[in-house]
Amino acid sequence: MKKSTEADTAMSKAAVKISADLLSNPLCEQDQAFLDSMTALDTAMRRMDSFNQEKVNQIQKTVIDPLKKYSSVFPSLNMAVKRREQTLQDYKRLQSKVEKYEEKEKTGPNMVKLHQAREELRPVKDDFEAKNKQLLEEMPKFYNSRIDYFQPSFEALIRAQVVYFTEMHKIFSELTEQIDQANLTDEQRERENEAKLNELRALSIVADD
Amino acid sequence: HVHVLRITVAATEVTGRDMEDVDVLEEDTEKEAGEEVVKDEEAGKRAAGELATQRKLLAIEELVLTERNYLRHLRLCSVTIRSNLQKVQPPLANLDTMFLHIQEVMDVSERLLTLLDRGQPSNPGFLSLLCDAFLSLRTDMEAAYREYLAGYGNVTALENSYKQKEAVWQEVVKVVKASAPEVNASSPTFFLVMPVQRIARYPLLLQTIQKHTDPRDPAYLALEDVARIAVDMNCKINEYKRFREVADKYKKTETLSIRDKINRLNGHSIAKKTARLGQFLKHETGIVPKVIDEEFDALAGFFCVLERGITDLHENVENFLGHLQAFLACRPEERDLDLGSDRGVVSYREITAALKQWIYPTFERRVRTLVHRPLCSLREMLAGPRNLIRKRLDKLLDYEALGEKSGLSYEEQAVAGAYRTINALLVAELPQFNGTALQLLWGILGAFSCLQRDLAADTEQLFASYTHELPHSLLEPSAFWEWASAAVCEEAKRLDAIFQNVQEELNAPIVQPLSPSSQRRLQVLMERHSPEKIYQLTRHVVGSRELDLTLQRGELVALVSEMDTRGDRRRWLVDAGGPRGYVPSSKLVRYRQVTKEVPPSPHFTTAVGREAIRRHSYSPESHPFVTMAMPCFQVFAGYDFTARSHHEVTLRSGEPVKVLEPHDKRGNRDWSLVEVRGRRGYVPSNYLAVLPSVVAPPTAPFC
Repeated sequence: MKKSTEADTAMSKAAVKISADLLSNPLCEQDQAFLDSMTALDTAMRRMDSFNQEKVNQIQKTVIDPLKKYSSVFPSLNMAVKRREQTLQDYKRLQSKVEKYEEKEKTGPNMVKLHQAREELRPVKDDFEAKNKQLLEEMPKFYNSRIDYFQPSFEALIRAQVVYFTEMHKIFSELTEQIDQANLTDEQRERENEAKLNELRALSIVADD
Repeated sequence: HVHVLRITVAATEVTGRDMEDVDVLEEDTEKEAGEEVVKDEEAGKRAAGELATQRKLLAIEELVLTERNYLRHLRLCSVTIRSNLQKVQPPLANLDTMFLHIQEVMDVSERLLTLLDRGQPSNPGFLSLLCDAFLSLRTDMEAAYREYLAGYGNVTALENSYKQKEAVWQEVVKVVKASAPEVNASSPTFFLVMPVQRIARYPLLLQTIQKHTDPRDPAYLALEDVARIAVDMNCKINEYKRFREVADKYKKTETLSIRDKINRLNGHSIAKKTARLGQFLKHETGIVPKVIDEEFDALAGFFCVLERGITDLHENVENFLGHLQAFLACRPEERDLDLGSDRGVVSYREITAALKQWIYPTFERRVRTLVHRPLCSLREMLAGPRNLIRKRLDKLLDYEALGEKSGLSYEEQAVAGAYRTINALLVAELPQFNGTALQLLWGILGAFSCLQRDLAADTEQLFASYTHELPHSLLEPSAFWEWASAAVCEEAKRLDAIFQNVQEELNAPIVQPLSPSSQRRLQVLMERHSPEKIYQLTRHVVGSRELDLTLQRGELVALVSEMDTRGDRRRWLVDAGGPRGYVPSSKLVRYRQVTKEVPPSPHFTTAVGREAIRRHSYSPESHPFVTMAMPCFQVFAGYDFTARSHHEVTLRSGEPVKVLEPHDKRGNRDWSLVEVRGRRGYVPSNYLAVLPSVVAPPTAPFC
């Protein structure tokens, strides 16, 4: 998600550079018409960039930050699961110890050891059960919370883009009115470009060396 | 063993059912015996297969169901609403244009449903039926939707004109609401936008079905085809719409604008302007060649500037395209977070998919064809004139070197001739080159702007079809963002709350009963340090450096300093009840002393002990607290103990003992008077253990 917004910003900045470089080219100085249209293009690009920036900021706040927060929970949850696992191992170990003693001859020292082992086992067992219960309760809750959690993010994501594209449409419609030649279809444009290029090619100074 | 296994298997089952797709939670619950894992895998595969089939069926059913609803709404709109709107007084202007193309769209939808109703979605052959239906209706569908979308701009314009007059608009809204009370509509466009939405949704519905279909399914190839065709259709429809807009605009009158001025550019005006530019450049660069040819310099100067402009533009456009590609390559919307069917999520996915699949690719294609490629060609062509200009300069230097000689040799004449030819050629053709190139450049920039506008228009139209579905889309921008940030905060807090619980529970340390040596250590440490400085080792540590301690897991120490003499905070100086040294801080955890469950109390011991003794000595004395049915308990020595004086008696762990008095002469319950192996003496009370007596009565072998 972050890469997407970064690429988006880069695109916008590239567009601004296009117009900025053209504006600084001396070609502008000697032709008023050129200067006017380049200025118009530049203004349009800069305005678009500022809208883009706004859009990215809003997305940052309402989508990327919540995303980061949500994923930061995972390492801790993993830790918790690992600890439960550890506790489980301890539990099993002690349990097997207890069973071992239970099977042995019922002599005095064995009884004592058995008793001690049982005493050791008890808190560990309780702890394991507590951890297990917690995880079983909390993990589903956590998983289910994701829908509500992300709902505003998605809406915000869409809304931010709506605003951006509406503005973009307005700005570029105006600009196109100003600087574009009579509305042509793509094929017509391509043909015109080819025609001009052929004119250039016909010049002998352009001949291949 | 069995008991433990049961717990973990139960845990696996519960987690398996609740959390199918979240990988991160699955890993830890499947570490049981090998055969369990294999069984789980097979079951998992089967389950996944069944899941996919289920999802495929759901997707197919959704397509059919939504189509039906869609047609129903359209019918409602074009019949009921239309006739009611016709009755509005004063009569609404141009009402018929609103409903101009809706009939064709409805026809196509009806035909589709008829074809689909020939089978049952649960039928395995239904998928082929679906694909065939789409393929057969494809041309008509494209034609109908094409016209509808091209005319949709008029529909919105018309609605806006109605909105201008408050009273009229109220009437319209009333009619809409009355005609369709069960739907939350507030304007005619709520219904009229549906075809716009629907055509964009076909590709996505089809792709969802495709996603859950087994590639070995006979209908899979056809399905792939149809999905692709659906995307194509959308591209063509949008193109057509643009084409129509252009044709319409042509009819408007032109006003004198910048573009007209450009059209008036020709070689002559360029030449004039380049002369000015030439002067400017000369001042800037200070280059004054010996043979000053103003006209030429002007031309060459213009060319240079033009060249630079073209080169810059070319690079910038390439840069732009590169970022566009990077942008399209990121596909965050494809990460399936299994978020279900919340409206916001589904809308987002559909919108982004549409953007990435045809709106942006079309934009990119057009930028490449109409902007990038011409620029490439133009840039290549700059090479020719540039080289010639350089050659001319070289020849010029040669020419100048000849000086003002009269009577030039043959070679010298050739040199002079060469220079003059090149010069003449350039002077003749450069103006045209400059002019045409500039016009071309102009056209390219105009095209770029136009393409951006089209991109925005397409996207806006796409979004418009979704705004009705999102709950908060009618809010004003500032209100919306307020709601959004508030909602985000709330959710964050909720997440924190859930998370806190987990943290607290899992960090609670295990409270183990302390061994007597630990208890003594604790006592010693408590004498010298405050309770919050007591720590417990979580793991064995082996000292490696000077002054490091080697300690066992579970040992208690007191913290003296949280860092070593060099300021390293990972080595802590601790007091181990005698020796002092360093241990790694990561192995220490705060020891919380809890007054916990009742250890075998001396009281109890006493009663039992006495009772045990009683069994032998039938003393008539009866003690008040020995009224309950006595379980058979016995007191044993829990640990070894070495007597240090003649008041004390040595114990060996496991020996049965008789407790004579649960306290010493001064009433201190820490010590008990016992009899063991025939000897009497004091031992620490907590070295005694009370155990169920499965042993024979005190005539144990040890005695």
